[in-house]
Amino acid sequence: MTFAIAHLFPELLGTYGDRGNVDLLAWRLHQREISHEIIEVSVSQKVPTSADLYLLGGGEDDAQIAAMEILNRKAILRKVLSGGGHIFAVCAGFQILGESFPASGGRTVSGLDLLPMETLSVGPRSVGEVLLEPTFSSTPGSLLTGFENHSGQTRFTDVLLPLGRTLRGVGNGLQTGIDGVVTPQIVGTYMHGPALVRNPELADWILERKIGNLEPLSAPIFEQLHNERVAASR
Amino acid sequence: MKLKLIIFAANMLGWVSRATGRGSGVMLTGRFILKLQPRAAQILAADKRVIVISGTNGKTTSTALVQAGISTKYSSATNSTGANLFAGVASALSHNPSAQVAVLEVDELVVPWAIAQTKPELLILLNLGRDQLDRLSEVRVVAHKWKEAVQTLPRNSAILADADDPFAVWAAQDWKKVIWFSSGSLGHIDASTCPECGKVLWWNETGSDFSCECGFARPKPHWVLSTGILIGPNKEKVEVISGIPGKAAIANAARAIVACAQFDISLTESARAVAKIKNVDGRFGDLRIGKTNFRLLLSKNPASWRETLATTQDGPTNVLLVVNANTQDGKDTSWLWDVDFAPLAGRRILVCGERSNDVGARLTVNGIQHQIVRDEVAASRILGEVQADLIASYTAFHRLSKGAQG
Ligand SMILES: [Zn+2]
Repeated sequence: MTFAIAHLFPELLGTYGDRGNVDLLAWRLHQREISHEIIEVSVSQKVPTSADLYLLGGGEDDAQIAAMEILNRKAILRKVLSGGGHIFAVCAGFQILGESFPASGGRTVSGLDLLPMETLSVGPRSVGEVLLEPTFSSTPGSLLTGFENHSGQTRFTDVLLPLGRTLRGVGNGLQTGIDGVVTPQIVGTYMHGPALVRNPELADWILERKIGNLEPLSAPIFEQLHNERVAASR
Repeated sequence: MKLKLIIFAANMLGWVSRATGRGSGVMLTGRFILKLQPRAAQILAADKRVIVISGTNGKTTSTALVQAGISTKYSSATNSTGANLFAGVASALSHNPSAQVAVLEVDELVVPWAIAQTKPELLILLNLGRDQLDRLSEVRVVAHKWKEAVQTLPRNSAILADADDPFAVWAAQDWKKVIWFSSGSLGHIDASTCPECGKVLWWNETGSDFSCECGFARPKPHWVLSTGILIGPNKEKVEVISGIPGKAAIANAARAIVACAQFDISLTESARAVAKIKNVDGRFGDLRIGKTNFRLLLSKNPASWRETLATTQDGPTNVLLVVNANTQDGKDTSWLWDVDFAPLAGRRILVCGERSNDVGARLTVNGIQHQIVRDEVAASRILGEVQADLIASYTAFHRLSKGAQG
């Protein structure tokens, strides 16, 4: 079996180095000699519904709405989820999974309604390092490090599990003290760009949720980067 | 206090700063002047013909090139060291108060202020692309500021804008006198949606043309740079030779010649002047550390890294990358993942700087062999007596360029 990663609309949702997450996952699979492919889906292409993992990155307002409209057309991500596919969504990509999100000019745009949450426009913009205590990890002292840059803040409208508790940064904001979301098939976060590069534990956990246990991987540079950013955030 | 006296005092302050080794004093003099006379830039610019230059990439180089051409015919003032905020602009104007022309590099977000203060006769809009997203915010936000600011230009002003850049086009297109320039640059990673209406922007396959169903489209350029020849609206032609290596440098040189033509300087005259510029503000200068002779290169954002990697691909085998993430570099290093470092394959790569682990992770995934070292001195100990390229982000570059030889 070949593990298929679909990178959705990199030209729209790729403002914050988001392809780093795709490249990193592919690299970790390659190191373990697990057969895989990356499907780059541009706006003019048909979105496959049978890939294993879908990545949605961050983007500016107009790009976010354009991406949402394409995905809404044939309820593509609903098909993905009912077919057992997983989604990792970042920032703008995370927001569009909810019921609504804000756009320029004070507008509110309907989202894909896959998660019971809504995003509101809250100033000032949240920019800076993020440090999280993850909800998924059984390793004591485990932390996640990232960088956020967004103006919207997100509120759950029903019970949802966050990705983590914020020790630094805004994350979902609105005084919730949490970041992101975790469901059996979706992981969302405001930690943009190469969040998976900074957090090898998160990268492997996202893969393992879909393909089962992975061999440990020795790659000291990623541990060094992780530890350095955690130390710098404290 | 009279402005003359303020400038005199400010220049003394700058002189003291230089004499005591506390930097060039440019910011210090500028800040001092603006504090005592907030309208100083306006007063100093009033009797000058002003050229304002802005954009994500190529500002400092373009300013030096335009200045070189302009000074063949006029006395001029400029901020040649890349000090492009309020104080830098004020300081530049104060250095030569009797100058006929001022050639001013201006930070993207300072353009509205610069237009209001200096009433430029020519506004040069180069390009907008992702850069220091944590500080400058998203590209479209900056484009909006430009579009609004353009409407405050004096009535007879002209804009020289790049027809290949959708954001420069969108910002400039409502003005009645726009000189469109094309260097044949292709595509734009931040312009996948239309700046006017937000729909997906249509690009042709090569990335040389764009348009939208709302009517927004690439304008037909008046001046075109093609295979090193600049051709004008009346079929006038000149060969463009750049003393600075790289594709972007030739485009900057050609655009500078077009700018000078607006000031009645002949194409051959300005072409000769711009060709003489070999390095700007320490860029492409030489820096000796230990036994190693480094060629100093500045890279600030994805577009400028791509340009530098392409330009230096046939350079020396040894390369040192120095990346920091201070305010002026942008505190977010996610841009590293927008750059394909494959052009470094086959070269010997050393990495240092405050964010060497980020670079190391990026290169690892990119499949580029490399070694992380403590600093430039450690790198030079490993490299020994060789020629090497040193590619540095903003703050590292400015620290190192102080020791560079033009
Ligand atoms: Zn349009």
